Amino acid sequence: MAVKFFGQFLVEQGAVTSSALLDAIELQDKKNVKLGEMALAMGLITPEEIQRAHNAQMSHDIKMGDLLVKMGFLTPDQLSDLLTRQKNTHLYIGEALVQIGSLTQDQLQKHLDDFKADQAQYVSNGIELPVKTANDSIWEMTADITYKMITRVLDLQYRPGKCAVATAITPNFMMAAMDFSGDVEARYLISVSEGLQKSIAKVILSEDSVDNEPAEVLEDTVMEFVNVVCGNVAAKASQMGILMNINPPVTLSLPSCGLKAPDGHTVLCFPIHIEDGEKMEIFLLIKN
Amino acid sequence: MIKVLVVDDSLSVARQLEKIISESGDFTCVGHAKNGAEAIKMNHTEDPEVICMDMNMPGMDGLTALRTLSVMDKDVKVVMVTSLGGVGDKFTEAIKLGAKNVISKPFDADTVLRILREL
Repeated sequence: MAVKFFGQFLVEQGAVTSSALLDAIELQDKKNVKLGEMALAMGLITPEEIQRAHNAQMSHDIKMGDLLVKMGFLTPDQLSDLLTRQKNTHLYIGEALVQIGSLTQDQLQKHLDDFKADQAQYVSNGIELPVKTANDSIWEMTADITYKMITRVLDLQYRPGKCAVATAITPNFMMAAMDFSGDVEARYLISVSEGLQKSIAKVILSEDSVDNEPAEVLEDTVMEFVNVVCGNVAAKASQMGILMNINPPVTLSLPSCGLKAPDGHTVLCFPIHIEDGEKMEIFLLIKN
Repeated sequence: MIKVLVVDDSLSVARQLEKIISESGDFTCVGHAKNGAEAIKMNHTEDPEVICMDMNMPGMDGLTALRTLSVMDKDVKVVMVTSLGGVGDKFTEAIKLGAKNVISKPFDADTVLRILREL
């Protein structure tokens, strides 16, 4: 029911044990040669150059291959050739499990089919952003996963409104946020009306009525929804090669006049129309 | 009845898990810790056989607590419960530190109980 990687899916399904998975990961670590090591083995760079690149990587937040080109140790063509070789010789986790005897080829194929079917629900259908931002695909995916979780977790009917650039964040009954860091820096913010907060609480707590629940618990259910969405966004981002760390969710109180978009940020607003006239908005405060 | 300790800073997730555990018939919830430090303390006082623990918590997080628990108590079986389960390196790190499995959020009762019964 969540974004996963294949090894995790297999352990969760009981198809392989966690210790078999660790053995397979160890085999992958042995067989999958890092780009720098491959360049070294092919005589394209020297041990001193790779050491210098490793040292430089401490203060440069870019991939090793790009860094080797930037430092003049590899040409772009050499990097492209290395990346192709690395891709072609990569030992995937499923094959590694076959090699250590935990799965047969037939079992692997069946589990791969099941995995694809399980994860198909998280394949993006395409969302249009009003402006060009860095990492557009990440923000489109974030909106897409939010929509999917509204259906799957909250079981609510909704219609997505047109995404727009916001100059201010308009207040609503409750607002919860989570910060992303790593390869991208942004704040994910969700605003819900009072009725919607109750709908979310009923589903998360599996209760028919939440009228007697303290405000703290009702707020916590919205924060938990944010946590589930953002955790799955981070998982999907990691599949796309983007590192996204998340912090625990927080609630926010805004003045009744709203909050001006912070300087140095692009604020995207995704209005979401929920059945029964309830209102939800997602804001993404993306650091420029 | 197998004793389970729930560790999560979220009241609503703790409520969900406690409900699933108490209605299972073969597991009983012995308490709820709100962070890793509380979990280590309650592991000592409540002596659970299983711990269901969130990864991302304020204060001591789940992976730090898991690292400590795996040294202090070789018998307790820890299952991580997290929205970050799908992040490959987080999952691998948890398994390497001794977690028996990782339950991804959103979860359902059947998946939680199946994983707990397979421990």
